[in-house]
Amino acid sequence: MPDEGLDGYAEALLAVAAAEGQSTVIEDELFRVGEALRQNDELLAALSDSRLPIEGRQGVVEDLLGEKASAVTTALVSMVVGTGHGGHLPEIVDAMVARGAANRDRVLAKVRSAIELTEDQKTRLAQAIKSSTGTDVEIRVIIDESVLGGLVTEIGDDVIDGSVRHRQAQLRENFG
Amino acid sequence: MTATIRRLAGAFGLIGVLLVLGAVPASAAGETIGTCVFEEILHAEEEFGSLHVLEEPAHKKDLVKFEEDLEKCVEAPSPIFPELDEIIWGGAAFLILFGFMWWKGFPAVQRAMQARSDKIAADLDAAEQAKTEATTVLADHEAQLAGAKAEAAQIVEDARAQADLVAAEIQARANEEVAQMRARAAADIESARSQAVSDLRGVVADIAVGAAERVIKSNLDVDTQRALVDAYIDEVASGNA
Repeated sequence: MPDEGLDGYAEALLAVAAAEGQSTVIEDELFRVGEALRQNDELLAALSDSRLPIEGRQGVVEDLLGEKASAVTTALVSMVVGTGHGGHLPEIVDAMVARGAANRDRVLAKVRSAIELTEDQKTRLAQAIKSSTGTDVEIRVIIDESVLGGLVTEIGDDVIDGSVRHRQAQLRENFG
Repeated sequence: MTATIRRLAGAFGLIGVLLVLGAVPASAAGETIGTCVFEEILHAEEEFGSLHVLEEPAHKKDLVKFEEDLEKCVEAPSPIFPELDEIIWGGAAFLILFGFMWWKGFPAVQRAMQARSDKIAADLDAAEQAKTEATTVLADHEAQLAGAKAEAAQIVEDARAQADLVAAEIQARANEEVAQMRARAAADIESARSQAVSDLRGVVADIAVGAAERVIKSNLDVDTQRALVDAYIDEVASGNA
């Protein structure tokens, strides 16, 4: 799908979230759905498999999200899958979240962590990034146990890796 | 040249003498005995009117003289001393002939001799020239031969030098190949050693890091995780991340 198509869907999702008055929640839930799909290739392939009926793929979405996400979020994901673009859902969600942050004059900062961050930690991290880079960021946390400990922050193409996994890799390189 | 002319003059003189001497019997031979007798008879008949007169006793002396004259007709001429008239005629003929020869023959002979001399001189010059040319050609040939020998020697020397150069190159190439083989072998050995060390380090690293991971995982409780997050935030804030 071309970038224009991604932006169109992202704009549509963002408009629906705003219309529902739950922009922050829906964006956060969609972001989590997108990252979950990005980390689960089989699920992503199933949602984009044209051999499966659309109803079946939408049923999978409803079964997975169910009570874990809001009805609006489930409906938006089901809508994208129903249009046959389930395989591009992570990119659509990234574009939507980035656009939403931009609407709030902020830059999306993806933070990978083995544990959930407290609101205080998110606030302090945003302040730390602003003091370090001069950029107002919007923190989106991705639970990723592979980082083992610490955080990995991605701001556009910049990566600030302070994870235990990274330290282990450095240790392995030093041994090598 | 002068001696040649003198020899020619002597030759002409000798010829003249021979002509004079030859003229003696020629003069004698010019009057046969019969003619002589006939002339003596005519002379006697003119003198006495008839030969019968001589039979007379008064002319006995004349008869004796007549008989002597007739006997002279049958006498052989002197082989050495010719008659005077013959000498005169012979000498005149000789002088005429000699003068003619001196006037015409001698210059002609002199010209012929001069021409022959000139021709001989020219031939000698030509021979000298040919000799010089032959000498020059010989020198050229010798020079060419020497050059060819020198060139051949140079070719042989060049070939030898080339062969030496090729041999040296082959030797150098062989040495270089040996050195390269040694270097490759050394590099292979070093590579194998490095690979072994690296593999060993990898194994050791895997063991050590694996152990560290197990230790870390076992110690990464919630508090530790939060402490790591806080430390990360502090590092980002300080700009050390």
